[in-house]
Amino acid sequence: MSALVRMRVAAFVRTGRALPSLLATLVVLGIIYGGGKAQAAEAYGFSAVALFPIIAWQAKLVLDTEPDVQRRLAITAVGHRRELAAGLAAATVIGLTTVVFAMLVPWVIGVVGIGGIEGPRAAGDLPLGAGIALGGWAHLASLVTAVGLGALASRPVTRSTLYGVAVLVTGSVLAIVLGLQGSFAPWIVPPLMAAARTLAKEPHAGSVIGLSAQAVLWAAVVVAGYARLRRTRS
Amino acid sequence: MTGVRLDDISYRYGRGGRWVLRGVTVDLPPGGTVVVLGRNGAGKSTLLQLAAGVLRPSRGKVRDRPGPVGWVPERFPADQPFTVDGYLTAMARLHAITDPGPIASWVDRLGLTPYRGTRLGELSKGTAQKVGLAQALIPGPKLLVLDEPWEGLDAAARDLVPELVAEVVAAGGSVLVSDHRGETARLPGATTWTVADGTVTTGTPAAIGDRSGPAASGDRSVSAVSGDRSVSAVSGDRSVSAVSGDRSVIEISVPTEVAGRIAADLRAAGHEVVAVRAVETEVI
Repeated sequence: MSALVRMRVAAFVRTGRALPSLLATLVVLGIIYGGGKAQAAEAYGFSAVALFPIIAWQAKLVLDTEPDVQRRLAITAVGHRRELAAGLAAATVIGLTTVVFAMLVPWVIGVVGIGGIEGPRAAGDLPLGAGIALGGWAHLASLVTAVGLGALASRPVTRSTLYGVAVLVTGSVLAIVLGLQGSFAPWIVPPLMAAARTLAKEPHAGSVIGLSAQAVLWAAVVVAGYARLRRTRS
Repeated sequence: MTGVRLDDISYRYGRGGRWVLRGVTVDLPPGGTVVVLGRNGAGKSTLLQLAAGVLRPSRGKVRDRPGPVGWVPERFPADQPFTVDGYLTAMARLHAITDPGPIASWVDRLGLTPYRGTRLGELSKGTAQKVGLAQALIPGPKLLVLDEPWEGLDAAARDLVPELVAEVVAAGGSVLVSDHRGETARLPGATTWTVADGTVTTGTPAAIGDRSGPAASGDRSVSAVSGDRSVSAVSGDRSVSAVSGDRSVIEISVPTEVAGRIAADLRAAGHEVVAVRAVETEVI
């Protein structure tokens, strides 16, 4: 399976499809970190929300790179399950690269001196290490759920660019709108907004565990749906 | 050693789609060669992809599929950012083959050596099709599924296909091949599966010659195998200059209204009519 992951990552990078999402990531990070210094947990919380649609789009691009017939050739070589898993793994690898990049950029911006991330300044501010760890957690929650949404929007499932973009945009908008405070169904979307709110206040172990469970469950349900749809769509 | 058995297979594209195949039960024995015949859109490619494991049947099961499976699609997906070498190496790795030996051997045999560093998108259709053949043959398939393998190939490569089929069969593998060009005479001993109206009818090798029956409409061509020495007497003709062996296939094109009579006349003269089909491509 790792051979297929490598093949797909190589194809994604070589076709230049990585560039548009890289530019979008840079724009978003510039807006978040360009205005001034911020606390790590709070800034990373916003970054994780903002990157969700970008990583989902990237995941869709990774899964769309391969021609349909080539995907079928891969199925004859490794079987349906491993082909499906390799696609999700390739999208996760690319998404993880984006996450690492997004978490490093504020430090580069900080060195230049415009904005970025700073250590605790007031009483009640989290230590820098804890803020970075919680920021990593928020980004991982964003990553696993975004890969799930990107898979649902991918060509093997939606079969057309129009439907694919519709799934991507609808999923991203709902994730933010239904994640707002006071939402009537916050449990139906990935807990990105809830995670950002938690990081902006005082995060507790209980809320982190609860939101982690929601993110994992959401991703599991979406991936199961993707696998089911792919049973009849090779 | 097993072949592959399609057990009461039905298939449709999507829940509301029409049934392409209904209740199909066929066996491809180990060491067997089957030619899949049928009109365009009859479901030949679908049947092949079900046998290869690319598609999952909507109903029924495919049993005893041996591995590895080599599938040559009708159109090779050349829109990929790899060179011939890079692509074949990556595909071999999917089959857990890291030894460059089989890759080099098939590249050489299929005449791909000058194109090793060429990007897939820059290959001609025929050369890309050879890359499709190579990726299927490198893992040493026990089930080789060829979808119109002669499409786009030059004469030398077209002659190579029956050799490749014979080698897979000799190694105990099974071969499934679709054909609408009347090239089936190149596969002696093959049985036939004829796909029509969602069902599959199995036939014996002789059934290939019986395809003159539906020559009712459209422009048809008649292919004849002849043992008559008078054929080789036309040795000055460019089209038969490369003919060798005991028997040869001649492709001729005739008006539809006389196709049936000419086929009958050829049979009466002791020749074997191996195929009658609509003219879709230029014949020799």
